[in-house]
Amino acid sequence: MLEIKNLHARIAEDGTEIIRGLNLTVKPGEIAAIMGPNGSGKSTLSYILSGREDYEVTEGDITYNGESILELDPAERASKGIFLAFQYPVEIPGVATMQFLKVAMNEQRKARGEDELTTPDFMRRVKEAAEQLKIDPAMLRRPLNVGFSGGEKKRAEILQMALLEPTLCILDETDSGLDIDALKIVADGVNALRSPDRAVIVITHYQRLLDYIVPDTVHVLYKGQIIRSGDKELAQELEANGYADVIETAA
Amino acid sequence: MPAVQETIDQVRGIDIDQYKYGFETVIEVDKAPKGLSEDIIRFISAKKQEPDWMLEWRLDAYKRWLTMEEPTWARVEYPKIDFNDIYYYAAPKNVTGPVSLDEVDPELLRTYEKLGIPLREQEILAGVQTSKVAVDAVFDSVSVVTTFKKELQKAGVIFMSISEAIREHPELIKQYLGSVVPTTDNYYATLNAAVFTDGSFVFVPKGVRCPMELSTYFRINEKNTGQFERTLIICEEGAYVSYLEGCTAPQRDENQLHAAVVELVALDDAEIKYSTVQNWFPGDKEGKGGIYNFVTKRGDCRGARSKISWTQVETGSAITWKYPSCILRGDDSRGEFYSIAVSNGHQQIDSGTKMIHLGKNTSSRIISKGISAGVSQNTYRGQVSIHRRAENSRNFTNCDSLLIGDKCGAHTVPYIEVKNQSAQIEHEATTSKISDDQKFYAMQRGIPEEEAIALIVNGFVKDVIQQLPMEFAVEAQKLIGISLEGSVG
Amino acid sequence: MNIQANQPAAKLTVAETALVEAFSAQIGDLPGNGAVAGTRDRLLDDLKNAGLPTRRIESWHYTDLKNLLRSVPEQVVGTKVSSVAPLVKGSTVLSVLQGEAHADAEIDGVTITAFRDQLSDGSAVAGLTALDKDDAIGRLNGSFVRDGLALVVPANAEIEDVIELQASHREGQVHTRFPVSFGAGSKATVVERHRSETDAAALVSSISDITLEDGAEITWIILQQQGASDTHLAQIRVKLGAEAKLRLYVVNAGGKLVRQELRIEVQGEGAELTLRGVNLLGGDSHTDVTLVLGHNVPHTNSTETFRNVIFDKASGVFQGMIKVAPDAQKTDAKMACNTLLMSDDGDFSVKPELEIFADDVICGHGATVADIDRNHLFYMMARGVTESKARAMLVNAFVAEIVEELEEEKLVEPLEEVISTWLEKHA
Repeated sequence: MLEIKNLHARIAEDGTEIIRGLNLTVKPGEIAAIMGPNGSGKSTLSYILSGREDYEVTEGDITYNGESILELDPAERASKGIFLAFQYPVEIPGVATMQFLKVAMNEQRKARGEDELTTPDFMRRVKEAAEQLKIDPAMLRRPLNVGFSGGEKKRAEILQMALLEPTLCILDETDSGLDIDALKIVADGVNALRSPDRAVIVITHYQRLLDYIVPDTVHVLYKGQIIRSGDKELAQELEANGYADVIETAA
Repeated sequence: MPAVQETIDQVRGIDIDQYKYGFETVIEVDKAPKGLSEDIIRFISAKKQEPDWMLEWRLDAYKRWLTMEEPTWARVEYPKIDFNDIYYYAAPKNVTGPVSLDEVDPELLRTYEKLGIPLREQEILAGVQTSKVAVDAVFDSVSVVTTFKKELQKAGVIFMSISEAIREHPELIKQYLGSVVPTTDNYYATLNAAVFTDGSFVFVPKGVRCPMELSTYFRINEKNTGQFERTLIICEEGAYVSYLEGCTAPQRDENQLHAAVVELVALDDAEIKYSTVQNWFPGDKEGKGGIYNFVTKRGDCRGARSKISWTQVETGSAITWKYPSCILRGDDSRGEFYSIAVSNGHQQIDSGTKMIHLGKNTSSRIISKGISAGVSQNTYRGQVSIHRRAENSRNFTNCDSLLIGDKCGAHTVPYIEVKNQSAQIEHEATTSKISDDQKFYAMQRGIPEEEAIALIVNGFVKDVIQQLPMEFAVEAQKLIGISLEGSVG
Repeated sequence: MNIQANQPAAKLTVAETALVEAFSAQIGDLPGNGAVAGTRDRLLDDLKNAGLPTRRIESWHYTDLKNLLRSVPEQVVGTKVSSVAPLVKGSTVLSVLQGEAHADAEIDGVTITAFRDQLSDGSAVAGLTALDKDDAIGRLNGSFVRDGLALVVPANAEIEDVIELQASHREGQVHTRFPVSFGAGSKATVVERHRSETDAAALVSSISDITLEDGAEITWIILQQQGASDTHLAQIRVKLGAEAKLRLYVVNAGGKLVRQELRIEVQGEGAELTLRGVNLLGGDSHTDVTLVLGHNVPHTNSTETFRNVIFDKASGVFQGMIKVAPDAQKTDAKMACNTLLMSDDGDFSVKPELEIFADDVICGHGATVADIDRNHLFYMMARGVTESKARAMLVNAFVAEIVEELEEEKLVEPLEEVISTWLEKHA
């Protein structure tokens, strides 16, 4: 489904190389965890996958369902089913959450050649998804992410994910800033979306989230490369021994 | 708020005559007759043994000046200046230009000693002063001495009075003089072009980092004398210089005019840091006397990635009219302006900067801190202009005013002009008084009121003080304290 | 100040000459008694002697009217103009059509008079003034004003329905005036609307004299939708009494050459001003909003927020001066001016000024000029919204945010409608 081959990428502004020859394959239905110490390039990878302009790919390729996505802008990638749950969702004053959801859903449908949702249909979907994630409907009347608490922002991200029905979900440090109850709600939301034709990339620093979203594969990212891959036991090993061992062995 | 009322009462009660540089040097002088005419300009030019082209340049400026009008847009008020009631040239007798230290009149050396300006190289080397600073000392209309010339020469740096430079480096003067501030620029700059008497010249050649701080010390001593100095600093590709300027004058009942022009040129990758501590006599507590300080300072970031940084601490002068500016012509060039303007007594300040963005990716930063006390008026006036082709330009401006007492005024007049979509401009300004909460907090911790206020004021100006070279920073902090003495109880 | 005192009057421009000639041509049928006629003469003389302002006049620094006003359209009489549905449903509409007032509606307790009647009986004369030596609009309007609507809202009246003052024209010259006073403790919402039925050139001058007596609580919305060739020279004179609360909303979405002056004097303790502005500029228009706000007494508050969006070759100006008088302690005034520049051919100039003579104050201003926030754009695109759609939404949000502060849905909705319609047409 997702194939990253010998990817090299740098910050466009100053040329700093962040990703240095990364290889990764994610199959349909798979939950892949990407772990690594701070500064290893985890968030950068999520931005590159979703097409942020600030990074330049200098070598290698990313293919999604067999097709290179490097030339696509973020909206085109999103319509192809790539969804990024942001580590720090931005606040957009003046844009009501409901209005934003409706536009995003319909724009994606349009891009895929589907009909736009009717308002009642849209309302019903939002209501259902919000109930599942225990999101207060009042929150959805506020401007997007403005004044949301850390936990509310993360839940709103998962709500969008549920509504947009992506085929590849990238969760960038979704656990950061969440207490245990919120973490469970978010994990339940993600698990509910598990299906044989949908893949999930969970980017995280700690093993904690992986107790709730159990990965099929675990990859350690260090200095812009995957230095080790394994199954869920690798995550437990990292939790127990820290990253130092793995880094040493790889070096 | 009893504490506040007390402070205000103290302001009113206390004499603001704290000026410590108000003494006069008794020395024989050589003066041109009073007044302004072509003859006077010829006289000045002859005294300076200038080439004919320089005299022509001056006379052209003079003719132009006669057609110009005094600007009235600044928020300053003063009686009309009689330009014929001023001496345009005064020099210590028998001094027409800098000589070696041994030849300098001991009376002059004593003057600079009293002012705390080190002129004797051996003393500096013996560690009297903490670090090496080369000084050009300008006394009324002439430069009396320039120190460390030899050592600078070794590095390839030219540092001399501008009168000498006109004689010794005419090709550089012809190329650069008036190239940043044209002779037609404004009323006072044009007057300066006609009658300037001395000033400093600095040339740092390609790739050279000037090995020490350079400094000019301006002193107006003679009565009824105008001081019209002209400074020109050029940094070639990749060169760097840090230049400091200080000013004082005796305490007199009459107003004296100071109309200087400073031009800076930075070529590719060059950097010029220009710091001023301006402490001209501000006038007495009744507002009598003091210097009229009408100055044009402008830097041209002519080369790519060049940088010009102005830092000023303005505590003196009866009137200050001054806008050190940057023309950001080179791509990726950067301009900075850091200012502290303190007004007390009857002082009037109208000062700020202009950042003219012409090149791509140019950036500028303006930090201005105004403090008004007594019955003074303190205005920040600044312009940020992003031209059509200045892609991706950035400006950040922060200008804060602090009022001490309810008889003074603080004003902010920014002009922001944007003609390019990719520009990013951020401007913020605040005006407030010293917070009672902060003061109470400090006092509750056992700090007396006067010190608490000084502490808060120091915090207020910290961002700018940090930009000054170390020796100057200490000096500037003291000076701000002194300027506000009596106003802060 | 001492400049130009003894200089001979400069040669008149085409527009200046046209104004002087128009005045002599109309003088016979301009309404007003002797005192009014004398005042008109004096104001026109001043206008002629000072000329139209140039950029050398500080308050006109970015709008060189002498240069920008190239010609003056002829006075047109007898043109039929009809009123349109009000901005807010259920409003009481009072209209001025092609310069002629129709004071026929009735509002409980409110005295409504056509301004021409106040000119005829001379009671209008005190208001025919220039506010200062550079007040070209005061002079122009004072010389030429023919009609308008004068409203007196009695003390403690609470006017339920929105009052819409609707000024419509087709072309030519229109000079109107809206003196409106709100008695102590009264409450009302007024929409002042300027619109053109055509794109034929017109010269409009309009002065609103708004007085809030103590404790009045008023919402006043100005919607300027003049034609693409119109010159709109407007002045809003406001006086706020003690404890009075004014929400003043200004939306500019039309005109070719617009100068809108907000001259506000906060004169009573405890008064509160909420000023919001939305300026939508497109085409090759020039729009200048100039605010002079005087906090003249202790303990008053104000907040001013302006949002500007510039498309095409439009040129925008905001000048905002906050003055705090000596002894006006405890003034709290905050001003912000944010601009989105959507085109490389457009430009915007901002001059926010503070003039402060009291020490115990909290005053500040902020100004930004920028393109759309890239983080916002990326976030929306990452959700599948196309770049152009995302941009449009963000621009809309940028200005709608201001309107939403009105909170009352019946006001917010139609204003948002005006904004999105305008943006759809220009973006």
